[in-house]
Amino acid sequence: MNVEDMNEGTSDFERHVRELLNDSVERMPAAARSRLTQARYAALATRPFWQRSLVRHWAPAGAAAVLAVLLLVAPRGEHPAVSPLAGAMPDDLELLADGDALQLSKDQDLDADFYEWAAGEAQGAAAPSLGT
Amino acid sequence: MQAFATLPSQTADLLPLGKARLRDTTQDGARALETFLAGVERKGFRIAQIALRHEADALDAVQDAMMQLAHRYASRPAQEWKPLFYRILENRIRDMQRRRIVRQRVMAWIPWQGEDDDGGDALEQAADNAPQPAVQAESDEMMRALEQALSQLPGRQRQAFLLRNFEGLDVQETALAMKCSQGSVKTHYFRALQALRAKLGDFRP
Repeated sequence: MNVEDMNEGTSDFERHVRELLNDSVERMPAAARSRLTQARYAALATRPFWQRSLVRHWAPAGAAAVLAVLLLVAPRGEHPAVSPLAGAMPDDLELLADGDALQLSKDQDLDADFYEWAAGEAQGAAAPSLGT
Repeated sequence: MQAFATLPSQTADLLPLGKARLRDTTQDGARALETFLAGVERKGFRIAQIALRHEADALDAVQDAMMQLAHRYASRPAQEWKPLFYRILENRIRDMQRRRIVRQRVMAWIPWQGEDDDGGDALEQAADNAPQPAVQAESDEMMRALEQALSQLPGRQRQAFLLRNFEGLDVQETALAMKCSQGSVKTHYFRALQALRAKLGDFRP
């Protein structure tokens, strides 16, 4: 009898061994069964968070959305887009970002006449002193 | 405009449905893994017990294997779980056997140290606890002889025999679990069978 023959069929000997082993599983003590059940629950609790939550399902959708946004926003080679803010100074950007500052700036524009007058007054007041 | 006006309500209707479906999918995965572990834990335990001849160590080995599988391979296809589980389990068994050998060597150097406290065969001790009917006793006797013979086999032969004969893995799955070729599985199984026959004889119930 060679390797192939012995692996092909199942002899009485093999069947009997299997029956004995299966029987020993059936007659396993309750304490061991209980320990195995506890071990199983402990194992299930160790599954990584991303496998237990919905994050796993949302992650690919999120990645696809980010990719789509990048593709839409990214400048194309043929027509390089020039942002109107490209030449802006950091102070300008800060002003744009700050809503209150922008409002203040608008108020200042409305009162431009006042500031021009005030500047003229200041120069006028300073002129005599320069002359003296 | 009419079409746009109805869109939010339709989306609102669909969202809970989608969430429920996703939650079901996640729960299905957890349930499948639990069912799988419940299906292999006892045979895995017996395989570890035969190899280690120690109940507590066998339980630890099975628990470690289940944890490793759940932690690292739960996302793999379910049909790969069984070979992976038994490969992890066998690695844990070997680790424990190596550690035991090292411990025994260290103990041998300590003059005041007596016999190993947890030495001996816990299975054999447990089996003699209560008087049993004659048939059961005979069966237990055969089981002890079988376990003795299996535990004396080389590790690879024992693994091939138990995975094929007891766990019912096919040659391909056994090869995957043992990380070897299908031809090697057949050879190990053949030699294991020969050795067991030589030790146990006819071995009829």
